[in-house]
Amino acid sequence: MKTYGSEPGAPESVQVGISELVVSEGTDTLKSYGLGSCLAIALYDPGTAVGGLAHTMLPDGDAAENSDLKPGKYVDTAIRALLRRMVERGATYTDVEAKIAGGSDMFQFESFGEGVGKRNADAAREELEKLGVPLVAEDVGGSHGRTVEFTPETGTLLIKGNEDIGVTEL
Amino acid sequence: MKLDVNALGTFYRMAQEGAGLAAGRLTQMTGVDTQVGVTKLNFMRGTEIRHDFDDGTENVGVRVELSGGIDGHSILVFDRGSAETIIEALLGDSDAGLGDELSQSAATELGQIMNNGFVDGWADVLETAIDVSTPEFQSGTTAADFFGDLEEAPSDDDLALVFQSHIEAVGAETGFRHYLFPEHESMAVLLERLRSNEGIEYDKLEGFDRMAEQGAEEVAKTATTLTGIDTTVEIRRLNFVSLEAIPQEVANEPLVGVAFEFDGTPSGYLLFLFDEQSAREIVDAMVPMETDDESDEFTEMDRSAIKELGNIMASGFLDGWANVLDTTIDHSTPEFIHDIGAAAVDPVVIQLGESQDYAFVFDTTVVADGQAFDCDVYAIPDESDLERALNDLDVSRIDETPTTAEFADLEGT
Repeated sequence: MKTYGSEPGAPESVQVGISELVVSEGTDTLKSYGLGSCLAIALYDPGTAVGGLAHTMLPDGDAAENSDLKPGKYVDTAIRALLRRMVERGATYTDVEAKIAGGSDMFQFESFGEGVGKRNADAAREELEKLGVPLVAEDVGGSHGRTVEFTPETGTLLIKGNEDIGVTEL
Repeated sequence: MKLDVNALGTFYRMAQEGAGLAAGRLTQMTGVDTQVGVTKLNFMRGTEIRHDFDDGTENVGVRVELSGGIDGHSILVFDRGSAETIIEALLGDSDAGLGDELSQSAATELGQIMNNGFVDGWADVLETAIDVSTPEFQSGTTAADFFGDLEEAPSDDDLALVFQSHIEAVGAETGFRHYLFPEHESMAVLLERLRSNEGIEYDKLEGFDRMAEQGAEEVAKTATTLTGIDTTVEIRRLNFVSLEAIPQEVANEPLVGVAFEFDGTPSGYLLFLFDEQSAREIVDAMVPMETDDESDEFTEMDRSAIKELGNIMASGFLDGWANVLDTTIDHSTPEFIHDIGAAAVDPVVIQLGESQDYAFVFDTTVVADGQAFDCDVYAIPDESDLERALNDLDVSRIDETPTTAEFADLEGT
């Protein structure tokens, strides 16, 4: 969610809404709530502590008309936009690593085919490989929701599930 | 008057753009960090708008009249407490209040700047000029104090297109509601200009909304029959929103839900979401033999009770549609979910997102007096199917056709 008028400098907690992506650095925390089949993609450069989080909805932006307006909506365009914005802020492309979380399949509806969540996770793996960004950790699939919190400085991706699932740290 | 998704999509972008500019200007002026909450195009009846003002809170508002690119009224409403907080920040006076002329004119000035933000955003999207009248300061506790004298504000049974946005101050309990009531004529002209295909007759949409109203009543009735808890429909709205806005609107807390896909003309998804306490009450009401287990877990028996309730409510809701449309709408077996709210909704949004950017959402809240029974019902039809269904709709059938689900029909669903 876009915040107007935030002061630069102070560490802050930024909410990354569905279809949004945010690039930040240091100890800021980037949070996405209640991911079901959506996929959270966290990229970071351990050397410069620049990182970003995207809360993506759909696998294929290249096939969509409006992906240039909303790169954060699609897995492939979000990864590329995150990378570009991180490099603009001083990250080194070849040092960037990735973590992903989400992509559950909560419902077994006929119209969902092989699963809307799985399609997102598969698309992320494919795009990261294409761009040569190592996927160092993932917590995807299952049939439960996740809330994620990402800190660029440490590259830590905290994942909270419901009571049965608890907290995972990637 | 005809409308289509393209035209409504442009309106939606217009509302978002306006809200962003208004929020930015508020920040510039007061130094308070702001964010834009959910933006909606609501097809609202007068009763629903009045409901927004029903909580007895004293509100203040700043209203302007628009002409040119769009004719109508733009109104910024804030509860008195929020207004005072902002005015105090603005004037640097900790007990400025709103009693004197100085603070009222500061509030009016603030409202004017924000209204202008909205208007500039709309003008950008519409690529046209919009003129704004001098602002009017208003205060009161009911909708009539703000909209009562406006011709374009809907009467109880009229369905009007209302633009709504929320702007929130970050980390503070300060929020603004914004309404745009466009004049019917002006709206028709704009819709005509923005429409890119055949579209839907506005009357049909209104008819469909009345049908959904009957469906909602049916849901409340079913809930009462099955649980013995006396429930009523509290809010019912037809929204046009971007798909992303749907999960954002769901409570950010663990919810219990039952989800269905339905298939026919229209097809789509139907979700019933309860907060945990309400789900507990329902289980207690439907499974009275069970020992009072205080754990948060829902046992297999609890789940099937909730699924059964959901199943019968779904039939009640959809049979009404099918009867009026003279068609069959099948729904899937219920899927139970107990998870953080947004996670229950995003799979549906994603699936629809493959082929559409926006959705009509039939949004209903069913509540009980004095007992926990809060149920949010979301019916989200597939856009192209809905358009077809609406075009087939014979509006005169709506009030004649019985919508009641026969309980005997439910065997085997």
